[in-house]
Amino acid sequence: MNFEPVTLSEKDKDLREEVRSFLIEHKCFLTNSSAIDPWFACVPEFSRLLGAKGWIGMTFPKQYGGAERSYLERYVVIEELLAAGAPVGAHWFADRQIGPLLLRFGTEEQKNHFLPQIIRGECFFSIGMSEPDSGSDLASIRTKGQRVKGGWEINGQKTWTSFAQNSRYMVLLCKTAAKSEDRHEGMSQFIIDLESEGITRRPIQNLAGEEHFYEVFFENVFVPEDRLLGSEGNGWNQVMAELAFERSGPERFLSNFQLLDEAVDVMRSSISRESTKQVIGQLVARLMVLRQMSLSVACQLQSGALPVTEATIVKDLGTSFEQEMADCLRMHLLVEPGEDAAERIGQLLSGSILKSPSFSLRGGTREILRGILAKGLGLR
Amino acid sequence: MNEITKLIEESVSSLFVQYANSDADEIMESGGFPAKFWDEFSNGGWNSIALTEDDGGAGMGLAGGYILMRLSGYHAVPLPIVESIICTYLLARAGLPLTTGFTALAVVDSAFQADGVRFVPRIPWARHASGLLVVMPGETNARVAFVDRSKWSVKERANMAGEPRDDVTLTSDAFEEVHELSGVCIERVFSWLALGRAAQMTGALSKTLERTVDYANERKQFGKLIGKFQALQQYISVQAENTNAAQCAVDTAVIHLDTPQEWECIAAAKISAGESAGNVCRIAHAVHAAIGFTREHPLQMSTRRLWAWRDEYGNEARWATKLGDLCLELESGHLWSWLTEQTNR
Repeated sequence: MNFEPVTLSEKDKDLREEVRSFLIEHKCFLTNSSAIDPWFACVPEFSRLLGAKGWIGMTFPKQYGGAERSYLERYVVIEELLAAGAPVGAHWFADRQIGPLLLRFGTEEQKNHFLPQIIRGECFFSIGMSEPDSGSDLASIRTKGQRVKGGWEINGQKTWTSFAQNSRYMVLLCKTAAKSEDRHEGMSQFIIDLESEGITRRPIQNLAGEEHFYEVFFENVFVPEDRLLGSEGNGWNQVMAELAFERSGPERFLSNFQLLDEAVDVMRSSISRESTKQVIGQLVARLMVLRQMSLSVACQLQSGALPVTEATIVKDLGTSFEQEMADCLRMHLLVEPGEDAAERIGQLLSGSILKSPSFSLRGGTREILRGILAKGLGLR
Repeated sequence: MNEITKLIEESVSSLFVQYANSDADEIMESGGFPAKFWDEFSNGGWNSIALTEDDGGAGMGLAGGYILMRLSGYHAVPLPIVESIICTYLLARAGLPLTTGFTALAVVDSAFQADGVRFVPRIPWARHASGLLVVMPGETNARVAFVDRSKWSVKERANMAGEPRDDVTLTSDAFEEVHELSGVCIERVFSWLALGRAAQMTGALSKTLERTVDYANERKQFGKLIGKFQALQQYISVQAENTNAAQCAVDTAVIHLDTPQEWECIAAAKISAGESAGNVCRIAHAVHAAIGFTREHPLQMSTRRLWAWRDEYGNEARWATKLGDLCLELESGHLWSWLTEQTNR
């Protein structure tokens, strides 16, 4: 395993300053509701502003409207946005994984059609993987795609689909062939227009009271031939290729950085300041190391490697950090958490606690990740 | 890894493999000194690795030293590798003559001078040293004095791993000359030693992980390899995560030596290594079960050291308090910008 440390250049510093100035200018978007879990806060208007700055699809080729910037440059931009609690949810999945997926497996027509819109911050995607009976065991999905004249017909149901209402499109994984020996065979990915006939979307309230995920029902939904993504039957491999991108980024440990920042502010002026130094130092040390590990993976992705095991480690350690943060801090903050707490710190604690279960669920549960690692260690 | 680093790793590893075994460990634990091993190490010039080429070193600075320190942890070397490399480096930096035997290293605080207290507890390997380098605080730079063996007495003690950690008492005329370490404050010397322990710990963590995976792949219960049980796979994965985090933290600190972020990165490294040590030892012993709970089994050569080392040269609380203090001193809203500066150079 490789986590060679990385240092950033002067050029990266300039870019960082540019993002900070932008955030000061657009301070009105940095609200309490996006402070915790900013990449699950959907504000299309903000996404369009980022698109105009060239900060979506930054690494994509110029021929599709991208800037061909490096993964480290993208890293600098997204970590600044996340740390500030900026609402980047609307375009998040399109930028992070659908774009790279299209670049890798999409047809020229698909790339020309979707990538420029994604880059402008005008085209948002949801991810259609989980189903009511298929969570961690993704290969057991039952949603079916059947060949019909001129394309495919989809029947089935997806669930936990974030932003199905705000996204125009979904990349759907479904079965396109009958059962075979290898359960990873016979799956394909489709680009679905969520406004197609036969699709019903129903919101599910999460335990923090938000409605960002949905159940999506497909009843005889027609998908034209040219919206098959990649090759028929190769869906599983295509999904697995997304994982190194999906699991190693700064969103795996910065979901609630605003809580830490606010806590340090509160403690700074507190009378029990002495006793809080240690807990802050421990959290900050963990954050420094996680950030370095994550940067290291970004660098490896840049060089064309696919460090899946390393990404898995970043996600497991990072989401544990996010989940433990509120528990570490609450003992040192004389405040009761609550959405309606008088002080901001109480509200952030509440958000952080109520949203924390999802931190380690989305993108592969802790147990699945550790299984992957065990395989990498030669135990499976 | 570049060619020279690789060459160094290879030759030092073969030396360590040859001499660092349970017999050498036994000599150490019974109060002796693996003299032949030391001679090989010292005659090879390895304790001068951090010196400039003009001074007879490899010109790699302390970064070169940390490669050896990590390997010494991996092979559970029963010699004062960290102390001898850093001491040699300090002697050269202070313009003092280098010694052939082992010179012990004592970093003392201001109480040592002011009160005339001449007692220094827990000095690594002092009983086997031919000299002692005392590092004292100065106005800005640290001050050092070389003390002849006739000027101090030793009460033999040991850490949890059985490594000598002796109490030293100096005579009142111990200091003949006091020199200044230009550009190095006392806290910096302490932090270099802390990073030395952290580097050793990453070596021991790697070795422990290798042993644990191997054992899980050879021990059978209920008719199958215990490594095939999900519960154990999950444990060992966490062990691997901790091992990698500490390694990355130490590597980061090494590339930030001589930068404005030096001590902050060292603090993170020592905290990370310390936290990982606790988790890793717990898991490794759970997997090895009763067989690993014996002196006979080599696992303890790594785990006892890890338990001891996390408290030497500042434990997690010491470094976290210092780091936390810095964060609370920052201007409001500057935590993030401070964090991002830690990856500058």
